[in-house]
Amino acid sequence: MNAIIFSALAGVVMMFSGIFTKNTSIITNVARVALAVLIAVNLLDTYGGWMIAVDTKNLLSFNKFGFFFNTILFVATFLFFVLSGRDIEKVGSYTAEYYALIFFSLCGIAVLTSFNNLLMMFLGVEIMSIPLYILTGADKKNLKSNEASLKYFLMGSFSTGIMLMGITLVYGATGNFNLPPISSAVTGAVVSDSIIGPLGLLLIFVSLCFKVSAAPFHFWTPDVYDGAPSVFTSFMATIIKAAGFFAFIKLFEERSSDLRVSWKIIMPVIIIATLLAGNITAVFQQSVKRMLAYSSIAQAGFMLFVVYANNNSIGKEGILLYAAAYSLATIGIFAILIRMKDYTFNGYNGLAKKEPFIAAVNTILLLSLAGIPLTAGFFAKYYMLAAAINAGGKSVLWLVVIAVLFAAVSVYYYFRVIQAMYFKEGDAEVENVNNRFKFGLLIIAALIISIGILPSVLLNWFYF
Amino acid sequence: MFSLEGITNTVHEWLNNHFSPTLALLTEFVLVGVAAIALFALLGLGLVWMERKVAAVMQIRLGPNRVGPKGIFQTTADTLKLIMKEGLTPDGADKFLFNLAPYIVMIVAMLILAPIAFAKNFQIWDINIGVLYLSAVSSLSVIGVLMAGWASNNKYSLLGAMRSGAQIVSYELSAGLSVISIVVMTGSLSINDIILSQQNGWWIFKGHIPAFISFVIFIIAVTAETNRAPFDLAEAESELTAGFHTEYSGMKFALFFLAEYINIFIVCAIGATLFFGGWMPLHIGHWEGFNHVMDYIPSSIWFFGKTIGLIFLIMWFRWTFPRLRIDQLLNLEWKYLLPISMFNLILMTIVAIMGWHF
Amino acid sequence: MSAIQILFWFLSGLALVSAIMVLISKNPVHSVLWLVMVFFAISGHYILMNAQFLAIVNLIVYAGAIMVLFLFVIMLMNLDKTSDPQKNWWMKLAGVISGGCLLMEMATLVRQAAEMKEKTVMMKEGSIGLIGNLGKLLFSDYVVPFEISSVLFLSAMVGAVVIGKKN
Repeated sequence: MNAIIFSALAGVVMMFSGIFTKNTSIITNVARVALAVLIAVNLLDTYGGWMIAVDTKNLLSFNKFGFFFNTILFVATFLFFVLSGRDIEKVGSYTAEYYALIFFSLCGIAVLTSFNNLLMMFLGVEIMSIPLYILTGADKKNLKSNEASLKYFLMGSFSTGIMLMGITLVYGATGNFNLPPISSAVTGAVVSDSIIGPLGLLLIFVSLCFKVSAAPFHFWTPDVYDGAPSVFTSFMATIIKAAGFFAFIKLFEERSSDLRVSWKIIMPVIIIATLLAGNITAVFQQSVKRMLAYSSIAQAGFMLFVVYANNNSIGKEGILLYAAAYSLATIGIFAILIRMKDYTFNGYNGLAKKEPFIAAVNTILLLSLAGIPLTAGFFAKYYMLAAAINAGGKSVLWLVVIAVLFAAVSVYYYFRVIQAMYFKEGDAEVENVNNRFKFGLLIIAALIISIGILPSVLLNWFYF
Repeated sequence: MFSLEGITNTVHEWLNNHFSPTLALLTEFVLVGVAAIALFALLGLGLVWMERKVAAVMQIRLGPNRVGPKGIFQTTADTLKLIMKEGLTPDGADKFLFNLAPYIVMIVAMLILAPIAFAKNFQIWDINIGVLYLSAVSSLSVIGVLMAGWASNNKYSLLGAMRSGAQIVSYELSAGLSVISIVVMTGSLSINDIILSQQNGWWIFKGHIPAFISFVIFIIAVTAETNRAPFDLAEAESELTAGFHTEYSGMKFALFFLAEYINIFIVCAIGATLFFGGWMPLHIGHWEGFNHVMDYIPSSIWFFGKTIGLIFLIMWFRWTFPRLRIDQLLNLEWKYLLPISMFNLILMTIVAIMGWHF
Repeated sequence: MSAIQILFWFLSGLALVSAIMVLISKNPVHSVLWLVMVFFAISGHYILMNAQFLAIVNLIVYAGAIMVLFLFVIMLMNLDKTSDPQKNWWMKLAGVISGGCLLMEMATLVRQAAEMKEKTVMMKEGSIGLIGNLGKLLFSDYVVPFEISSVLFLSAMVGAVVIGKKN
């Protein structure tokens, strides 16, 4: 509850900070401090420390998994603020409001990591996404940004409508919004032939697939990620997506059985479609930003494995690792991308000669996204596949093989950037590189490698 | 003692004695409908005459004085003229919507009549969320206005309708909030309960300053909602000829005109009900003798007296304040009235919780 | 057939016909007006279920406020019939087929559902829809979502200002 309350309060504080000062760097620093406090109160919550006693009437249930997930996402956001704070200031003249919206979005995430009720899930998803529609359109003069915002808003509203329809059907089948009774009421002997509950769950499933941009529902992703101001793309593609997956897991960890046989058919189809759509299209992109948008779809395909595996501990550990590895790496890559003059692959030509440090960090992060050993991405992908095998045994081996093949495809387009940086002549330009920026990148690279070498450090933390 | 309740009860008993209950009910429906339409006609005629006379008094002239004593039949004559005129439909107009719009505005005005208590126990429908019903239905008249403005295929009409719509939608908020502040005091949304709660004094006296503030806000907001001067931008003659009903003529125009006055009557009736006790006579705390004397005046007289008093107030505005500009109008609502009414609502809630009212 | 049943069928028919008209009207203004009709019919259903508060709020919020804004925008944009972009014939066909499949699937599933056969909606009974009970529930059991939804509205408002304000 701490995280929910404090993130909302921090949002309000940010709103007011815009009244008291017009100096954007002060606002950015206020946001960093507020986020640090948010991380601190969330940690307190995790270890049963100070907690505002709120009787949530079982609408929210807090557990360590959720708190830990919060921590990872908040820390990722903190690094995002540190690295890209300057760029947020440059988007438009509403710096304070942008930070406020980001904090509101974090509030939605905190709700999503603790919901115990479909009503709360709906609220969480909405609180998380509504600020994003605005952030996408923050660059008001840019038509692409406007278009992306409108597209995102319309598609998002539509998927929310589908989710509400699903929630309504589930309510109709069970008579309440609570999570646990859904499965018992639906699969229980009394109304065993009920079909409305599963139908509702299917609709919620579709809507969540939209939110995490899983394959047949991914068409909005490239346009929105490409059109949005790059800083906010970075936030959307990482933290928000990971939170969406958390909601997905939390909803279906005990309920996939409600979808019975179809679960084992639907999930592989969606996973393969997502991997296919993401990876194959990413290969043909000319703009690194658009490539990253497609690669985020591809990464979503991997994260879907945990939904497929549902409710085993490897999967849970895996999603934590994946969220950390993917968010950190993508935030870093985007932070560099934002400061590049040219967003195409050619824009990276010869970066290694000009800025060897940045090129090196970028390489590490790209390797992590590709899942090369010794980086966090490798273990993240490994845990995902292991979770699937753990859940499905040998019958899912083919799925794992396909996933590995697609991971190999992804190496191609990630290496195109590395190739451009190291093996091509050119004069790539990076703007506004200062020591703080480099230090932030160093921390991210260090985190990626240390998780890559010793994933148990992160995971052990989860159990204590 | 004269009372409307007696008449309705007599009719009800007579009908039930002579016909089957279903038939009696149906007859009563018809009677209520006829009574409502008759009331509308009378109000329309009366209020237009009143407006012209009030205007004349304000401007130190005589006003209508030819048809009938003191010109009392002037509006009847005008209405007859309008009925006989040809109802034109412009060429590029959306015929169906153009012809439908006046009826929608009229029907909405009639629907609002349902929960209003005209006298003691004299109410068409005592719905338990009467106040909400009022604000819901009154917000629908915008649709009729927009329909009329758009279907006319005339830029003045469209602009007038837009202004009117923006005005109604925005002022409805503060009108609603000031209504709610009385609901907070009463603890009920039913019109009947609200009136009964004023047995020992009207809310405008019992509710201290917050009630007075909400009354002021209410009267400003409803003046704007009915598109009356100084908020009559929707039909600002110098800018938009006649606003959304520029293209209307004959009976359809008369319907808009009538609906405007009916709406004034209705909002004033609501104001009288909420703040001045509706049909409740002027009672003061424990002055038993005084209260008893007041009870001798029939409740319908109290109701219509208060309503007409408020109508006079609104007519008075028209000749007192200059017209606002559209941006001033919207600023007034969103930057002043709305925040004030929100704080006032909080104040009212505190008063209600602490029981500081009488 | 009792009066309530007649009303139910009338309102359902009205809602369906209006909803179809929303889709097939050539003129966007007509579509919006038909949509208002749909909301009226739905409000009627709420009243039949003795949920008067919901009925009225449905009218205030949707018919009174949101639809008026819709009308505003559409009227100001002055869309005429010709500006409707013509979609590819194949796209239309694909849409019809996929939408029809979903509809058919849902219809068959709902038809099969055993528990729907006995259960019908409670007409004119139950007091949960009355404003007092609704308010009590909202401020006791559901106070957490009620308060958290304020964050939702706050963020929407901040967003509206950010998007709408001139630089």
